Amino acid sequence: MFSVSHKTAFVVDHCPYMAESSRQLIECDMLTKSRSQGVIPLAPVSKSLWTCAIECSMEYCRILFDVYPTWKLVNYIVSDSEVHILNSWKQEDQNTHELMAALAAVGPPNPRQDPECCSVLHGLVAAVESLCKITEYQHESRTTLMDTADRVANRGRIICLTNAKSDTHVRMLEDCVLETIQEQNKRAAGSDRLMPIQQCELVLVHIYPQGEETLVSDRQKKELSSMLSSEVHSVRAGRYLASKLNVLVQQHFDLASTTITNIPMKEEQHANTSANYDVELLHHRDAHMEFIKSGDLHMAGSTSRDSGLKETVTLKWCTPRTNSVELHYCTGAYRISPVDVNSRPSSCLTNFLLNGRSVLLEQPRKSGSKVISHMLSSHGGEIFLHVLNSTRSTLEDPPSISEGCGGRVTDYRITDFGEFMRENRLTPFPDSMIDAAGRTPVERAKSQLERYTRYWPMIISQTTIFNMQAVVPLANLIVKDTLTDEDVLTCQKTVYNLVDMERKSDPLPISTVGSRGKGPKRDEQYRIMWNELETLVKAHVGTSERHQRVLECISACRSKPPEEEERKKRGRKREDKEDKTEKNGKDTEEKGWTTDSERLKGVMEREKDEQSECEIIKDSPDSPEPLNKKPRLATEEQQPPEKSKE
Amino acid sequence: MPTAVLLDSSLSMTRPVSVEGSEEFQRKNLAVHGLTMLFEHMATNYRLEFTSLVSFSSLWEVLVPFTRDYNTLQEALNNLEDYDKTCLEAALQGVSNIVQQEWGTSCPCQVVLVTDGALGIGRGSLRHSLQTVKQRVEDKKFPLPFPFPSKLYVMCIANAEELQATDSMDNLEQLINLNGGEGQIYTMEGPLCLKSVQSMFGKLIDQAYSPFHAVLRCGNLTSDVQVFPRPEPVTIDEEVDPMPRTVQTEGDEIGTGATDDTEEETSTNQMAGKSPNFCVLLHGSLKVEGMVALVQLGPDWFGMLYSQADSKKKSNLMMSLFEPGSEPLPWLGRISQLGPASDAAENPYGEDDSKSPFPIQPKHKRSYAQNVTVWIKASGLQTDVQKILRNARKLPEKTQTFYKELNRLRKAALAFGFWELLKSMAELLERECTLLSDSAHPDAAFQLSHAAQQLKLASSGDSKYAAYEHNITPMLTDFSGGGGADRI
Repeated sequence: MFSVSHKTAFVVDHCPYMAESSRQLIECDMLTKSRSQGVIPLAPVSKSLWTCAIECSMEYCRILFDVYPTWKLVNYIVSDSEVHILNSWKQEDQNTHELMAALAAVGPPNPRQDPECCSVLHGLVAAVESLCKITEYQHESRTTLMDTADRVANRGRIICLTNAKSDTHVRMLEDCVLETIQEQNKRAAGSDRLMPIQQCELVLVHIYPQGEETLVSDRQKKELSSMLSSEVHSVRAGRYLASKLNVLVQQHFDLASTTITNIPMKEEQHANTSANYDVELLHHRDAHMEFIKSGDLHMAGSTSRDSGLKETVTLKWCTPRTNSVELHYCTGAYRISPVDVNSRPSSCLTNFLLNGRSVLLEQPRKSGSKVISHMLSSHGGEIFLHVLNSTRSTLEDPPSISEGCGGRVTDYRITDFGEFMRENRLTPFPDSMIDAAGRTPVERAKSQLERYTRYWPMIISQTTIFNMQAVVPLANLIVKDTLTDEDVLTCQKTVYNLVDMERKSDPLPISTVGSRGKGPKRDEQYRIMWNELETLVKAHVGTSERHQRVLECISACRSKPPEEEERKKRGRKREDKEDKTEKNGKDTEEKGWTTDSERLKGVMEREKDEQSECEIIKDSPDSPEPLNKKPRLATEEQQPPEKSKE
Repeated sequence: MPTAVLLDSSLSMTRPVSVEGSEEFQRKNLAVHGLTMLFEHMATNYRLEFTSLVSFSSLWEVLVPFTRDYNTLQEALNNLEDYDKTCLEAALQGVSNIVQQEWGTSCPCQVVLVTDGALGIGRGSLRHSLQTVKQRVEDKKFPLPFPFPSKLYVMCIANAEELQATDSMDNLEQLINLNGGEGQIYTMEGPLCLKSVQSMFGKLIDQAYSPFHAVLRCGNLTSDVQVFPRPEPVTIDEEVDPMPRTVQTEGDEIGTGATDDTEEETSTNQMAGKSPNFCVLLHGSLKVEGMVALVQLGPDWFGMLYSQADSKKKSNLMMSLFEPGSEPLPWLGRISQLGPASDAAENPYGEDDSKSPFPIQPKHKRSYAQNVTVWIKASGLQTDVQKILRNARKLPEKTQTFYKELNRLRKAALAFGFWELLKSMAELLERECTLLSDSAHPDAAFQLSHAAQQLKLASSGDSKYAAYEHNITPMLTDFSGGGGADRI
């Protein structure tokens, strides 16, 4: 987590000699033929060593920030007679725009400044000091780990872009860094905001003008001490430097290169012709893991056109299509950065992806069989290279959920639960959003789920109230954390409305599952409905005093006190049995009750061939009490009405 | 995760074990007995997992390719033949190949090696293989570590004393070490008999084939679930946090989001029984609504649940595990900051479900999403210069684009300390001015010389004119007066 690549300090030499020309000439006066007569073309421009160093280091940072928007931090330091520290380790400082603005303020080196008082050494010392400074991430880890805080490591890398005098000069710079580390580590040991450096990689890049012989020799990585290793790269300014830093950013951050080939693009001049282009992308090398392990890498790879040094894997563009099945076998997604960000093919590809399209990528195989191995797609303005599983999946041919537990139950409240899910959807809240009880947003979401599910029958035949439009206002409000007086009023109105329905003897969508007959009588239906409503409201009565008032309202308004009901029920049971045979004929008429009866019919019909299941449904913990009692009473009575219908 | 069983069919497996009672057994019989027990266990508790049976001696042979049909595997066990000597290296290479061919290199796989611990003699013996392990050329490397994530379980039809008497135990231990320590050696305790082989395979089953039962919870709605393949513990950071994280058996569904992509490994949920089940309800609604549910698997470890249908109209509830961490998908932000949409001042999904708070945009745009300036290649610089000149020739119509491009070049040149370019650009603009035709709009000349002058001032480094955030604005002329549309 806190490897050497957590912290990168750039030290760029701003001494007078860096103002020297790189001697790479760029023709920017490209006269069109018709206009060129009699005009003397402008002399080509050439970048200074400083300009070359800046633009290549900015390119390094651009790629780094694209692929690692967090956790990998850059501290940019410019050195002349003094030190200019252009940003900090803070995450908010990690973007090229801020760095460019700061660099503009520094400006190019002043060739007339006294070379005696200028040195890159000031910058190197500052870089070591900076590596000792704790980052937000290190701080957070140390705070959360408490007693094992010493596990949080402090490592870093210094990339120094300079123009050295000789190998001896280079050794002097290395010695200085080593000494400074030792000094700073002593200081850091006694401070909270500083950490001693455990490991530091010094990467010295000596830049010299084109056409000159180098005075500094390349040197592979060498351990100077247990804490410090150093390597020296001697590079000509211009494109050599650019490709060197491109290779370094790949090495330093475990990146790999993929070239998308065969991208069809409309020609600018001839709109109806199209040519094929290539675009090279960088990303974490894990996106190539399958190739590396299977040994396909060298086969799939070719050499990159630009650097001639590094390998790139070539993948072929496939006609875009989005098929969600492919997404399910995605095994990883990695951020990308185009190597040549503002070239026309690159920006064409990236804009295509940023506009929400996806591109499937095909692995070229000798055999000619087509294997889709990757996909490019963007999420929230960032482009990701997705790795798709191109071999057999262990998830193939999964059994249907209907073969499993509860799979044969057919009257789940699918639509209602869909509504429930929409009401419980999540949304991001700002970091500081913690409520009065100190709960994070996600804890609030969980507590909302708990409230909303205190009474939630899963199947239609287990509930009456959730099948009634009239109950909806109360059911929606009662689950809330707080109720207003107006909410209580709405709930009370719902209750009054139900009382009114009962007075008018409106039919109710009572489930007849488990009952052999036409189901309970009208007053019995209302008793079941009131009981269920009470169960719902009782589950929330402890939430607030206003919730309590809703329950009081129900208790006051509901038809009959339960004891009386119980006595009456016992009497009627006998009565029902006697009436049974003659009532059968009337059942068919009465079935036209409500719109819900259609739904219930299905339930009843299913019940015929699944008699054995009735027991199970009744015993489900979510079954409302009244139903548990009632169907059992009813089962004693015989003759399903459906039979007489046929 | 799939299992490859590698069964020793060398002659030494036919050695009889010391007789106790009337029945006489060969070691092979004990091996078959143990594997039968394993297959029976898998047929009951792991029927969605694939298993393959490979037998080996000096050669190796796939007896049953990867299958969920445990009858076929059992049948193959009943029809084993005996061969010559033990050559483990070739067999391990064979297993490595068949696993890679079938599942690639990212799918974890368990390899169960059943052997009597007589690991061959001379060339082809494990001892010989291990002695030469460091002297291999590229294409004859020792097959371990396997290129796919793996566990190597060695089931010895022998007891530990027997193996320690020779160097067999050392060699087997070395084998596990070569596989990165991923695996374990099981030996038989006490006399070699059916009971001790059962007890040994029982230990393997407990270790590697225990079914993953969990409770899926959404508030007060719950369901018992079994997860296939079993989610394995993950170690995220060896250094700071070396403890492997395990999936808690209490899955807390924490709400639903409306994204529809999946990453990371996937598991199938499978249950058995008939009473109403929350999983079926959840699955049905997720499918109808096209939604996914976020599920918490442990502290700072999340996944998601969704309905997945294969091509044959069968669908099931799938769980995808995200990489452990507080922010597994960048476009969802920190999971702990996701709260009920009803708490927001305004419904983030819109009154008619037309909006979504996702994906969350990053604070800073990526380089490819902002018009960055890169002049590493000469062509990049030339394109930018030409763009300005093209617009310069179409003044005053293109005043706005002309100044936009000019300012982009100016900013980059200042940041790169490339003042020489500013001077050259100024000269190019001045020359354009002299090349204007008589019919050109008079405003063009004013704008060109104004722009050229501003660039020259910036190239002087004078802080008044060279400020990075400063923009050159079009000159207000009599000709451009009123036509404010063209101004920046």
